[in-house]
Amino acid sequence: MKRRAILAFTLDHPGVLNKISMLIRKKMYNVDTLTVCRSRIPGVSRMTITLEENDEAKIIHIIKQLEKFTEVISAKELDTEHSYWREVAIVKLEVDAAHLDEFHGRYNFQILEQKSEDVHILQLAGSTRSIDAFLDEIGQEHIIEIARTGVTALEK
Amino acid sequence: MTGKKLLLKALKDRRVKFIFGYTGGAIMPVFDEMEKMENFAFVMSRHEQGAAFMAQGISRASLSTQNPQVGVCMSTSGPGAMNLVTGIADAHMDSVPMIAVTGQVATGVIATDAFQESDVVGVMMPICKQTYMPLQAEEMEKTIHEAFYVATTGRGGPVVIDVPKDVQNELVGDDYAFDPETCRPHLPGYYYSPTPEREPLNRAIDMINKSERPVIFCGHGVINSNAGDLLRKFAEKVNIPVAFTFHGISAMPADHPLSLGMMGMHGTVEANKAIMESDLLISFGMRFDDRVTGKLDEYAANADVIHVEIDPSEIDKNVRTSVAINADVYRTLHVLVGDPMVSYKPRRRWLEKIAAFREIMAEDLKEEIEQGTGEDGRLLMKTIIHQLSNLTGGRDLIVSDVGQHQMMAARFYNYQTQNSWFGSGGAGTMGCSLPMAIGVKLARPNERVWSISGDGGFQMNAQELGTIMEHNIDLKIIILNNGYLGMVRQWQTFFFDGRYAGTPMRSPDFMFLAQAYGIPYRKVEKLQDVEPALQEAMECKGAIVLEFVCDPAEVILPMVPAGCGFDEMMVKHPNKKK
Repeated sequence: MKRRAILAFTLDHPGVLNKISMLIRKKMYNVDTLTVCRSRIPGVSRMTITLEENDEAKIIHIIKQLEKFTEVISAKELDTEHSYWREVAIVKLEVDAAHLDEFHGRYNFQILEQKSEDVHILQLAGSTRSIDAFLDEIGQEHIIEIARTGVTALEK
Repeated sequence: MTGKKLLLKALKDRRVKFIFGYTGGAIMPVFDEMEKMENFAFVMSRHEQGAAFMAQGISRASLSTQNPQVGVCMSTSGPGAMNLVTGIADAHMDSVPMIAVTGQVATGVIATDAFQESDVVGVMMPICKQTYMPLQAEEMEKTIHEAFYVATTGRGGPVVIDVPKDVQNELVGDDYAFDPETCRPHLPGYYYSPTPEREPLNRAIDMINKSERPVIFCGHGVINSNAGDLLRKFAEKVNIPVAFTFHGISAMPADHPLSLGMMGMHGTVEANKAIMESDLLISFGMRFDDRVTGKLDEYAANADVIHVEIDPSEIDKNVRTSVAINADVYRTLHVLVGDPMVSYKPRRRWLEKIAAFREIMAEDLKEEIEQGTGEDGRLLMKTIIHQLSNLTGGRDLIVSDVGQHQMMAARFYNYQTQNSWFGSGGAGTMGCSLPMAIGVKLARPNERVWSISGDGGFQMNAQELGTIMEHNIDLKIIILNNGYLGMVRQWQTFFFDGRYAGTPMRSPDFMFLAQAYGIPYRKVEKLQDVEPALQEAMECKGAIVLEFVCDPAEVILPMVPAGCGFDEMMVKHPNKKK
């Protein structure tokens, strides 16, 4: 299934998120990730939704129905070629500092805290794929807990 | 000024005359204020669902009059609001503008499971055009005016305003000021484009001029934008036959030579066959729903589609368009009627072909209507509707319920008056007819209104006989009683080996029911009594109930079975030899 990102600018009103998520549920999708933040215009929120769908026409229809909501100012699809898709992960892991050193330079991460000799809290930012690759390479058995923001996207 | 006063002031400023509803704990302050103001005609329904359909009746029937009104219904919190749900969802499906005001528990106890509390905004959100919950008296007027604006602009729809009890009673500050004349809702995300763009219009005109076997589609948008006359002029100008969606009926006279009648599942043979053979569909204000198209892959395979529609999300939803015109139907037709580029063609071969389609079922139907009774002597609905049509000259207003009788009323009444056909289309809500007819009658008091129901649907909102009694509503009520849920029975006959699961139904003696409400009643069992009974109903002053004892074996044909293409249209009863 093709992963799609929909960008929507909405009024910052209570219930808007509910409406949008209900529409996506009604169309029988499972939201992959959803991020909301303030935009540079006061009172306007910026939402990035990702979900999986191969059919272009269905995505166009979701966007048209999103735009029908009085609170949605505009909505469009962003593709990976013409936009940046990024997310942030905070990872607590049990790993020797020496082992972690091997990843420096190859992955974009920052050590937020060293809790003990081998417990670290890291912050990673990048594409979903690069975060997945980091986690795979470091080994799932080392991970204590992980928090990921989900994708936010910006047009090039 | 209090919130409740401002609420009612805003309704008054919006020229609301009728309020339909039912009071209760959380809406009492507004009702109390309404009593003091004396500006409104309050109509108490016997169930909130009834109030929602009455409000729909006002909106639907008045849109073609000098004084279009938006129907308003009002209920208390919790169960009161929940009882509105069906009527609101129905209005949403059928693009009917309407305002529902519901009382809510006080803000201090919201979300504590207070007495008669339910999450009205949460429940209504997916089934209406917009929801509001004003949290301060200052927001009240602005909210109501914005609600009317949203309900009536672009594609119409219902709007719900949930008002907490303390906000109803709250006083606004001394510096409060609001001018309904100058207020403009701030809705940067809400726009609609009523004016057609020239470029797609030119492509459409080119296609219309080149087409050999075109069909015009008349949808609800034609009625809603009052464009019936323009559609007829356009059809005559280009000499193209017109097929109607369920809600497009009555936009132009049903017996117009270019009329093909209703299309779709129970549409006419000529409409459906013409669509299948067409090379161009010119559709105005419709949404190609599954009852209209049947199996999409096989639908009008050789036709290009011009789609004129105010709601952009309907374009390319079910059927791929060749030219999309996202605009108001009236404005688009106005341009097309006036544009000399649009040319007339005799289309002799195409119209001859259509004339042949008309003959396919004509003889069978004529024979059935003339016979008037089924095998056991019980009456045929077709014949009753046909006689009603003849007696009234097709000029009366018809409000139908949902089921077999609805399709009979859509097909066999000869609609002459614009916007004279009402009912629940998209949602298909049984029980809509009686309360909707009350709203229709109040909106158009000088016209005769017939409510036509089956025995099943009638009993779903029969309590509204109380409203009819109390307000002396002059309704001619027809119950076509065949002792079954007729449409489901027909499917059971065709597709379930005649196992009538959950469809036989014993009804009360409708005479006693009518009498209990002081409404005259006639029971008609014989063919020769049909016409005198209808005649009596036409001439009598005030409401009357006519019960017709109908043949449960009667079917409505043709029928395109659900999920099938038009090629599989049934024109003969599969179990009958003849």
